[in-house]
Amino acid sequence: MLEFLPFDPWKAVQFSQVLLRGAIMTVQITAGALVIAIVLGLMMAVIKTSRVRVVRFLVDAYIEIFRGIPALTLLFILYFGLAYSGLQIKSVPAAILGLGLVGCATLTEVFRSGFEALHHGQREAALAVGMTPIMAMRNIILPQAVRITLPPIGNYAIGLLKDTAIVSAIAAPEIMFYARNLVTSTFDTTTIYVLAAILYFCLSFPLARIVSRLEERRRSWQ
Amino acid sequence: MSEFLQIYAENWSDWWPQLVPAMWNTVALTALSYLFAVVLGIILALGKLSKIRVVRALCKSYIEFVRGIPALAILFLLYFALVPLGIVFNSFTAAVIGLGMNQGGYMAEVFRGGIEALHKGQREAALAVGMTPVKAYRNIIMPQAIRIVLPPLLNMLINLLKDTSICSLISAPELMLRAKDIASMSFRPMHIYLLIGVLYFTMAWPLSMITRRVEAHMHRGRRSTV
Repeated sequence: MLEFLPFDPWKAVQFSQVLLRGAIMTVQITAGALVIAIVLGLMMAVIKTSRVRVVRFLVDAYIEIFRGIPALTLLFILYFGLAYSGLQIKSVPAAILGLGLVGCATLTEVFRSGFEALHHGQREAALAVGMTPIMAMRNIILPQAVRITLPPIGNYAIGLLKDTAIVSAIAAPEIMFYARNLVTSTFDTTTIYVLAAILYFCLSFPLARIVSRLEERRRSWQ
Repeated sequence: MSEFLQIYAENWSDWWPQLVPAMWNTVALTALSYLFAVVLGIILALGKLSKIRVVRALCKSYIEFVRGIPALAILFLLYFALVPLGIVFNSFTAAVIGLGMNQGGYMAEVFRGGIEALHKGQREAALAVGMTPVKAYRNIIMPQAIRIVLPPLLNMLINLLKDTSICSLISAPELMLRAKDIASMSFRPMHIYLLIGVLYFTMAWPLSMITRRVEAHMHRGRRSTV
């Protein structure tokens, strides 16, 4: 009936059902890694404002190291390396942890530039009215910084969503993993990988729209 | 700890000669795909600013689509999905084209941002003194735009260097693939992957330092003009 199509539509539907199962895992891994990256990144950005030199140096070292190592290498260290050393982590937690640790370095920089974008008078005024440095950070700096950093965090989340494709290499059952499995059982490479690409696009495109909305809003009140 | 390092000492003569050529392959892969991405990015950026509607729409949808899918998906599409259609790339070529196509989409946005950031009057003034549009681009717009786009371009180079590691998944001959081979032969994954991490870091760190220098330099220049 539909012979004019370059692919078998019935098969494409079947493939999509399998890939969609992976999409749920993709979203879960993205969300997990995002939470780790935001929490750790925010903590490290706050720590980086510290006056203690050693502490600042440690944070900088962390950022530099994780900026220089591919996420895939870190995933292999966590999944294969640690297993060999006797500490077995399952693939999904390893994926979340690995991507989260890499993302933390990125987000620390994002939060830091968010803090710096605020006028230093804000902090000084907060201290002048008798707030402790911690109170000033929590009540004055952070709420404003979060608003400024929301668009770059959104951009990071989109990048993260796409980066989750590589965790198929440590057998975390997400979209790419199911795609590769389907390929080995059906050999229909073209249909499957095109579907996988479309699926990723469908996940990331709405996010991208939201982020550009946020960016426009930010531009309007700046 | 000393036991851990002992392993490196014992296997160094076996591992190192395998890793050096793989590192060069990674460097070559990074350089070639970066070049491809820069050229593609400039073409797309100019296309997106073009006066012809179809060109603009085409470039825009390419950028949107490529930015919406993982680099790995592009690599798999190029390397595996084109085979049934009769187009066969070897893995290295597919890696160069795939990474280039992916980064090109991001670079287009950077270049467009750079070009748009310049005041419109610049171009108009150049045309007013009798330059052709091509000359205005080459002598007025481009030199200034490069100052704006250089820091993000350098950051992308670092990211690209790290992204080459995923080309091991289409078995392109680079550092990560060699590491996987050695790990499966020697049963020392922790040692190998840590070493590989250090190697990637030693390649990326100088770039990272340069990027920070350039960023600081550009920042200073902008502040003094204001």
